[in-house]
Amino acid sequence: MHIVVCIKHVIDPEIPPSQFRIDFEARRAVEDQGKWVLNPYDGNALEVALQLKDRHKETKVTAMTMGGQSDQKVLRHALAMGCDSAIWLRDDGFDNLDSYGIARVLARGIQKAGLPDIVLCGRQAGDWDMAQVGLRIGEALGMPCVSLVYNIETGDGRLRLRRETDRGAEVVEADMPVLATITNDQSNQPRYSSVKGIMAAKRKDIPIWSAQELEIDPAEIQPMLVIDELIVPSYDRQVMFIDGQDGAEKATRLAAHLIKMNLFT
Amino acid sequence: MSGILITTSVFNGSVSMPTREVLGMARAIAAKTGDSVSAALVGAEVSGLASELIAAGADQVCICEDVKLSEFCANLYLEALQTIVEKVAPRIILMPGEASGTDLAPRLAQRLKGGLVTDCIEYEFSGDTILYTKPVYGSKALARIRITTPVSLVTVRPRTQDVYPEAADRTGETIRIELALDSCPPETRMIERMEEEVLECTLEEANVVVSGGRGLQDAEAFEQLRELANLLNGAVGASRVAVDQALVPPSCQIGLTGKIVAPDVYFAIGLSGASQHIAGMSGSKYIVAINNDEDAPIFDISNVGVIEDFRNVLPVLITELKKHLS
Repeated sequence: MHIVVCIKHVIDPEIPPSQFRIDFEARRAVEDQGKWVLNPYDGNALEVALQLKDRHKETKVTAMTMGGQSDQKVLRHALAMGCDSAIWLRDDGFDNLDSYGIARVLARGIQKAGLPDIVLCGRQAGDWDMAQVGLRIGEALGMPCVSLVYNIETGDGRLRLRRETDRGAEVVEADMPVLATITNDQSNQPRYSSVKGIMAAKRKDIPIWSAQELEIDPAEIQPMLVIDELIVPSYDRQVMFIDGQDGAEKATRLAAHLIKMNLFT
Repeated sequence: MSGILITTSVFNGSVSMPTREVLGMARAIAAKTGDSVSAALVGAEVSGLASELIAAGADQVCICEDVKLSEFCANLYLEALQTIVEKVAPRIILMPGEASGTDLAPRLAQRLKGGLVTDCIEYEFSGDTILYTKPVYGSKALARIRITTPVSLVTVRPRTQDVYPEAADRTGETIRIELALDSCPPETRMIERMEEEVLECTLEEANVVVSGGRGLQDAEAFEQLRELANLLNGAVGASRVAVDQALVPPSCQIGLTGKIVAPDVYFAIGLSGASQHIAGMSGSKYIVAINNDEDAPIFDISNVGVIEDFRNVLPVLITELKKHLS
């Protein structure tokens, strides 16, 4: 079985709002603030793939990313976690694409990698939160798509996918090839890399595929969306702290305050 | 291409509230542009809901009915929506941001070669163009986005739009659209459905929400939260971390990728207030935070705060509130 996992390098989503800086001119986050990390949902996706590999030894897992110079780091990270190979889609023409263009490039990369049995993507990226690249890739490849999956089991050449719904969860069955977008769950928290894994990952060759090698015409990946403006939301709230000698006194005062505010009807 | 098409999701045999909100948004846009508003109604036995959609603001309802559509199966629903889109040729497609809408929208957009803005919370006109606002960077910023393709697709975050005043005497047209699903085998088969207890699911409707985060550390601590919630006829919520630690089921998750709530009172307990969480609750009318870290970002958006380990506060708070409320 061959699994391709599409991953992305993002500015750390955990940067607190008070420290987060925006380049209003460029209409994106200031790039040299905080650390850059593997998109958290992509970590869950890698974990789902690697668990399938743990259970089925013949499984090969390929990590793929589209991006610039620093983005190679997420591929090393994925290799260190246990992926067999990594592919880097890189071209100056890939800067400033939107979900449509990114999906198109990744779909072409996946085709060139030899159509896999399973394609996994994080449900959304922690930067633009668009939540559409994965499903657009599935459509572009003409694959069945299952969204918000958190666990996959195999049997009889079919997959059983556990997914989140508005009111709980469900299990659906699908034939391969299939694309799934992955959401977080206690069962798919990304594993830590071993020192051995990190060392081995450093030595691996990562092929770079350009637009030309992917046979992509810049005209076919033009953005469909234009960011007119990026603004910082404001919360017009001033917090009032409740003081007291100890927790019990604070609790008593808080209760009195809430009752006085007549909040519970 | 002209007109606005909305897609319908059905909950408990009725048109869902997020669908009504999307109809409200469509009517508000139409009031400026003069567009007609059509609703796509897809399912097995759904034609009875056409009158609900018309009363809630649709001028026209396009019904695709087939027994094969009794279970949600994305590729069959997509086939139906695509057929309706070909018939209506809308310039704007608005979809409720529930699981089915967020599942279908990117795939429909890809098929229609259209630009899609997901998780839209508001919009404004810039001349004849509509700018759609969506939270980005885990809600640390808002992006105003214009869509440049002939057809625009938008998924709308629940609870951000006003419904259109319901009018039972509104009239509208109903069209049945024939669908040939025989050549389209379902891509997935339903094996099992696990719906959680109703108790956990009234989160979006609750007037009081009591949420816990990383600071709770064990499932027993959530029992205290549940006690407070029960006392106030509220529901229990949680941050993503608490879900990842399996302290509560995923249906309790509040945040950008969980439920979006806007209760009268929101208790954030042992919860730091990551922006991903704030995205799901900042619309709450009154926010109470209890956290022993005075620098926790949750205090920046709270009305009242207590800097203290919640374990020292909750038992007394519950007892005191009981006294006053009984």
